[in-house]
Amino acid sequence: MSRRWGLIAALAVAGLVQAALAPHLAILGVVPNLLYLAVVTVALVEGPAAGCAAGFAAGMMHDLLASGPIGPSALVLTLIGYFAGTLHENLFAEGWLAPLTVVFIAGLVYETGYGFVLAVLGSGAGFFASLWRLMLPGAVYNTALAFLVYPWLARLLQPERSMTTLRRLL
Amino acid sequence: MKLARAETTKRGGQRLLIAFVALSLAITTVYMRESDNGPLHGARRLALAVAAPASKVGMLVTTPLRLVGNGFSGFGATKREVAELRERNQELLATVAQLEEARQQNDRLHALVGFAQRHDLKGLGATIIGRSTDSWEGSIVIDRGARDGVREGMPVLANGGLLGQVVDASGHSARVRLITDQRSGVAAFVQRTRAAGIVRGSIEGRLSLDFVDAKHAPKRSDVIITSGLGGVYPKGLVVGDVTRVDTERGALFPHVTIVSRVAIDRVEEVLVLVGQTGADE
Repeated sequence: MSRRWGLIAALAVAGLVQAALAPHLAILGVVPNLLYLAVVTVALVEGPAAGCAAGFAAGMMHDLLASGPIGPSALVLTLIGYFAGTLHENLFAEGWLAPLTVVFIAGLVYETGYGFVLAVLGSGAGFFASLWRLMLPGAVYNTALAFLVYPWLARLLQPERSMTTLRRLL
Repeated sequence: MKLARAETTKRGGQRLLIAFVALSLAITTVYMRESDNGPLHGARRLALAVAAPASKVGMLVTTPLRLVGNGFSGFGATKREVAELRERNQELLATVAQLEEARQQNDRLHALVGFAQRHDLKGLGATIIGRSTDSWEGSIVIDRGARDGVREGMPVLANGGLLGQVVDASGHSARVRLITDQRSGVAAFVQRTRAAGIVRGSIEGRLSLDFVDAKHAPKRSDVIITSGLGGVYPKGLVVGDVTRVDTERGALFPHVTIVSRVAIDRVEEVLVLVGQTGADE
């Protein structure tokens, strides 16, 4: 029960920080997506069921906070959460490189998928412009933040399993 | 036994995935088909109202950090006899910074009011309390909402010209879609040639003037103003200046790049046009 509340609290805090601070952390117009980071972390720690539930909840928050259509982010993050969650048993251990690789690849998939759904709904942009302007920089930026966020959030969500942190790496 | 449990968990996860995917698709479909007063649009207004205080706190938290970073970089007390003087100096610097901030805000507000008066526009001053939470859009959140008379569709100006349009209004806050947003479109014309076109934003945050007759193509430094067509934006508001014109052989329309006169990333106060006092609309 307390674990479920931990997940809900993690998503709520991610939503709050996304609304309050993320816009001010934008670099060259690329706003970090802390909700996405929370979803991937939950998925890798808890598995596919929690991953897709967290993805749906975080996606709805993301859509409601923005001005675009409601639903696309929930759809893409649900899929990301599920498929990242299927790697749960294999990835969540001592390592840090594999989860960060997953964060980067899932970030690219998320941005591409989100852009695709927006394009289908008539709100999209040119693929190559989006790729260079948003998708790649967004994936790199989120991965850089994951380097700081992932170990701590993962440890918070599942304290009984060991996790390599930045301090231990250095 | 363990394998059977894993299989059950896997099937449960798949069922959950299908349910959430179906729910997401249903929500998207409903949102695209419902009116502005529909439940999902209402949920977004509620989210805006709930998130506005957090955005305001974020703005308040980051502004002093920027000011401190700019104003006090390089300061550091190392000797006891100068410590008091440094402390006093910092207090004075803080006071000066506050006074300077107030003076600059006063200047900006004066400029905004003057701009509105010159164009016979009835405006409502507002302060920006939040910015885009998503890289895919260009928007701001302001501290005026439906209870102050702000309605969806109202144009928003900043010192220098047109900034955007209100797209969501909750009780005490509203979201403004910037003209640089890729979904934005403004009916405009070239002030010198009167050639009409549509100013569009882009994913890169750049502005372009589309569908201009090649025979009346603008030149560099031409001014682009709103045409008033469509009834959203009043006629005569400055949208920006032409910086580049590319005419490809055989193309129906030239590609015209324009730059807004508004420093969109740095603007702090805006004017919501709640009505007009005598323009030619």
